[in-house]
Amino acid sequence: MLLKDKIEKHLLSVQKPSRYIGGEVGSVIKDRSKVDVRFAFCFPDTYDIGMSHLGMKILYSLTNERENYWCERCFAPSEDFEAVMRENDIPLYALESLDPIRDFDFIGFTMQYELSYSNVLNMLDLAGIPIFAKDRTEELTQIVIAGGPCVCNPEPLADFFDIFVLGEGEEVNLELIDLYWEMKQQGAKRIDFLRKAAQIEGVYVPQFYSFTYKEDGTIAAVNVTENAPEVIRKRIIRDFDKVYYPENFVVPFTEIVHDRVSVEVLRGCIRGCRFCQAGFIYRPFREKHTDTICRETKALCENTGYDEVSLASLSTSDHSEIDPMLTQLIEYTANEHINLSLPSLRVDNFSEALLEKIKKVRKSGLTFAAEGGTQRLRDVINKNVTEEEIMNTCRIAFQGGYAAVKLYFMMGLPTETDEDIVGIAELAQRIIDLFYSIEDRPRGKGGVQVSVSCATFVPKPFTPFQFEPQDTREMIEHKQKLLLSSVKSKKIKVAYHDPNVSQLEVILAKGDRRLCKAIYTAWQKGCKFDSWEEHYRFDKWLEAFEECGIDPAFYANRRFEYDEILPWDHLDYLVSKEFLIRENKTAHQSKTTPNCRQRCSGCGVNKKVGRECFAKAESGI
Amino acid sequence: MQRLRAVFEKTGRAKYISHLDLNRCMLRIFRRSGLPIWYTEGFNPHPYYSFALALSLGFESRCEIMDFNITDDAMSADEIRDRLNTVMPEGMGVVSVAPQVQKITAITHADYSFTLETASPDRLKADIDRLLSAEEILIEKKTKKGVRTVDIKPDMQVTDCRVADSGVEMSLRLPAGTQTNYNPTLFFEALKNTGAEPFEPCRICRTAILCADGSNFA
Repeated sequence: MLLKDKIEKHLLSVQKPSRYIGGEVGSVIKDRSKVDVRFAFCFPDTYDIGMSHLGMKILYSLTNERENYWCERCFAPSEDFEAVMRENDIPLYALESLDPIRDFDFIGFTMQYELSYSNVLNMLDLAGIPIFAKDRTEELTQIVIAGGPCVCNPEPLADFFDIFVLGEGEEVNLELIDLYWEMKQQGAKRIDFLRKAAQIEGVYVPQFYSFTYKEDGTIAAVNVTENAPEVIRKRIIRDFDKVYYPENFVVPFTEIVHDRVSVEVLRGCIRGCRFCQAGFIYRPFREKHTDTICRETKALCENTGYDEVSLASLSTSDHSEIDPMLTQLIEYTANEHINLSLPSLRVDNFSEALLEKIKKVRKSGLTFAAEGGTQRLRDVINKNVTEEEIMNTCRIAFQGGYAAVKLYFMMGLPTETDEDIVGIAELAQRIIDLFYSIEDRPRGKGGVQVSVSCATFVPKPFTPFQFEPQDTREMIEHKQKLLLSSVKSKKIKVAYHDPNVSQLEVILAKGDRRLCKAIYTAWQKGCKFDSWEEHYRFDKWLEAFEECGIDPAFYANRRFEYDEILPWDHLDYLVSKEFLIRENKTAHQSKTTPNCRQRCSGCGVNKKVGRECFAKAESGI
Repeated sequence: MQRLRAVFEKTGRAKYISHLDLNRCMLRIFRRSGLPIWYTEGFNPHPYYSFALALSLGFESRCEIMDFNITDDAMSADEIRDRLNTVMPEGMGVVSVAPQVQKITAITHADYSFTLETASPDRLKADIDRLLSAEEILIEKKTKKGVRTVDIKPDMQVTDCRVADSGVEMSLRLPAGTQTNYNPTLFFEALKNTGAEPFEPCRICRTAILCADGSNFA
């Protein structure tokens, strides 16, 4: 029986079957017999989540521009369909051809969050691909690679992958496939290809590196073989305004998380919030011209038929042409009955004029990431936002007709005290008081609503806080209780995360190669979809750590020393370790660092890239 | 403004598009086509289109009906059909576009064809014949008011029933429209309840939407 028939035979017995059968508008179909290299782009979570990922859309279209390469999509099946697959010997397949991905040349995963690691193992297993890289064929096929933000510390995944691609993929992915096809034609073996690939900038072949450890468990040395580089530097796109951007997206039938056109307006961030990994690993700051953004928006809306577009970036309002850009975009979208959504706006440059523009396009709630409850703590984390600015923005918003404000905070930040936690409740209360002090406030029923959402701080590699320990669960639980008891008004709603989840996140984020075994063991115990509350089994993870002789606190609750060799020190994300140490010290003095536009903070990126960050960037590079 | 009615097919992989998803899908089809579709004039203007009958997930159809309005009076029905067809997903296609003649309420019946796959088609055929010759065919139908037992026999017409290689091929005519709607699954259920030879309904397809006099609705 053809695989397609086998799939269809069972498809109507599972939830949202259109996720498993392809055929969407915009999906790229090629003639297998005329294709040289086949690439399965895998997202280690369900279709609904994976299809929302912008990076996949870019790299999918980019690879398929090359006639002889075929990139297809592959997602983790939900539990019901996984059961069907296992019961009926349906191997994990790609959605365009419905061919098993074990026959593909590349199986590429994008690693967006730590809690998807166990899904990678499950997907490899469903595909019938050996889970450990060392067990794969000697032939040149089935190369399992990964990219995305999590590979800035890929060590906990090192045993499962042949290659990690560091940084932006638009150029290096094609270089890698080109090399593969060239060597495939020459009849090369897997190892020959890996040796050569390791010489490409941005390509990390983990099996060529090994670690030795000191008695205290920290890393003693990294040993390099096969002539691979001592330090692997991430890739960046130098001319971001000219970088490839797709003119079409695959348009799903079923509703996905971000079901709209996304247009990337800038990459990198000028802010340097000390907890934010994205703010450091995506440097340098680069932006697209207004005209480019408008052209891409128009093409995508016309080709997909979406009636909603969202601007993607780490901080859209930091675009140097934000006002003319929005004016031009709104002119188009309003005319065409398209909704424009603008996530990632900052409190400190939120002008009345900007609010007027946003109001034209939507009128839902406003969300602000204040992150810390007191000014002292916001200075520690370098969230350069003052209470005055928050209040000012809320005043503008309330006068503009908004009556709901959502505030994001983190709990367990370095140097945090009970005072900072109480400060969260007090800040929320002052916003409520502000609302009732305004004469022309909205007079709807219910009055004002302030939602406070607290995440647990997870220290991440390549941030100034990479050295920091995470609060223990007991500490977080104490703070959560304190916050709840500090809130006096019913108009303040408090939500917070499960600290057990954040603990696994930090272990996987800051872990070393010894964790591979624990991830494998946890998966064997049934761990998968760790980011889904209903699937998360922290008890199984603890069992796995114990069986593998791993002390979770060593990674989660220990301060990593400045002079310690960190598991990711052999990877170069352009920001220097000296800079991160300097910023860490400044944080402990509760001092801020101005944003990159105001003054260069000397992170080292411009030196390595070989140009000033803004000399050209201001004019669009 | 032209008030139009399209007949479209939904076959192959398109049968996995649920009715809810079809709505969203059609919106994007119209937007991609660039056709001057009429927007509602309320607080939140949206393109106006509506489907005559919902189609169950997993059913194919050769005769789905959709009404919509086009603001350009000079545009020909053929051009509208062709422009929609260039932007349709795999498995979906417009058969015809024509002015709306009858009211949706004129729909009374729909025809379905399907195969009941089974290991022993002859025995299943005998079971079917036995069911069809019974006085009444009672099934429990879930309605908004609760579960009630109905006799589907008077309203059910078997237009074809024959033994094939892999099972029994059948065609059924069932009530459809704003008054009574019978889904072929009611018949499958009734057949299963008789303790018939095990079977699996396959390739279920709505083949026609009809008026009271048996003529095609559109």
